[in-house]
Amino acid sequence: MADRVQASVLSQQLLLSVAEQLKLPLLQIARQAEIGQLTNTTDLQQIQSTADTALRLLDNYVLGVRLALDQYQLELEPVSVSSVLYDSGQELSRLARNYGVDLELHIGGRFGTVMANRVGLQSALVSLGAALIEALPALEQPQLKLQLATHRCRYGIVAGLYTDTQQLTTDALRHGRQLMGGSRQPLMEMSHTAGAGVFVADSILKAMQLKLQVSRHHGLFGLGTVLLPNHQMQLV
Amino acid sequence: MAQIILIEPDRVLAATYRQGLEASGHRVVMCASAQAAIYAADEIWPDVIITELQLIGHSGIEFLYEFRSYSEWQTIPVLIHSHVPPAEFSDAWELLRNELGISHYLYKPLTSFKQLLRVVNDCLVPASAPVQP
Repeated sequence: MADRVQASVLSQQLLLSVAEQLKLPLLQIARQAEIGQLTNTTDLQQIQSTADTALRLLDNYVLGVRLALDQYQLELEPVSVSSVLYDSGQELSRLARNYGVDLELHIGGRFGTVMANRVGLQSALVSLGAALIEALPALEQPQLKLQLATHRCRYGIVAGLYTDTQQLTTDALRHGRQLMGGSRQPLMEMSHTAGAGVFVADSILKAMQLKLQVSRHHGLFGLGTVLLPNHQMQLV
Repeated sequence: MAQIILIEPDRVLAATYRQGLEASGHRVVMCASAQAAIYAADEIWPDVIITELQLIGHSGIEFLYEFRSYSEWQTIPVLIHSHVPPAEFSDAWELLRNELGISHYLYKPLTSFKQLLRVVNDCLVPASAPVQP
């Protein structure tokens, strides 16, 4: 019962964060349409991409909340991390282009499969990626490269998104989680927005018994999650 | 034609507003951060500053304190165009107007481009009266 109440409160905080976040794409669409009419240069592809990103965020929010409220479950299955990263990159590519961010895929070896849920993992990575893509050009030292990457660590296989900024810290993430829903800009050192994508990713990963955490990859800083290798498949 | 520094952290929105302002005959320098805006103001002589308050690292208010601390920039019109609702600043309007010289406060989600352009053009008219949020 207590868990359910806590999940409900978290869902409401997440809703506030998502509502705040969604003002941005809606504003982009409204102003692009208005200015496009004045200048006769409406970029319909960009408007479509902006709307798609907003829809994806909403969809992932609903997934996170339904998982938290036990209305839906994601079964664990053997998943290839590299293919999930590739598909996430494909999904994020248009948004990255709009923001002038180079999205790179870095798979540092052969890791076999991990135990996760493909839909859940990809939803989390896409939400996270969208939040970072929007934020990176606005840093005081703008970063225009983002790596979708995986590497082995002591506890398993890490999958995440990495860039060359020291703003992605454990403290910033912890403060952000505390301020989520209550502050318009909970990740003040990392993002000018509500950062809802980060918290939606957090909620989806949590529902899969995974954890979003700060990690490093070849000197870059980022956010990722540790996945357990699928030992049965390795034996086969 | 005016030289405008647009402090807008969202790259897509910044490009959209720049397109509209340039089509209206203004020259626009886009800055994503407070520090970049200080450097830009040092290089060009802006006629108007448009700033968001929600920036990464330093807020727009911190930027304004620094900006107004330089004597040569004390009379340049600054208008706030922000996601932060003006109601949150209603108690501090006197401070914004008197201490930081804010001429207008526009709530971004509910301000059309036409309204923004009208306010920018008003700022270019000498001795425009400050408009309370």
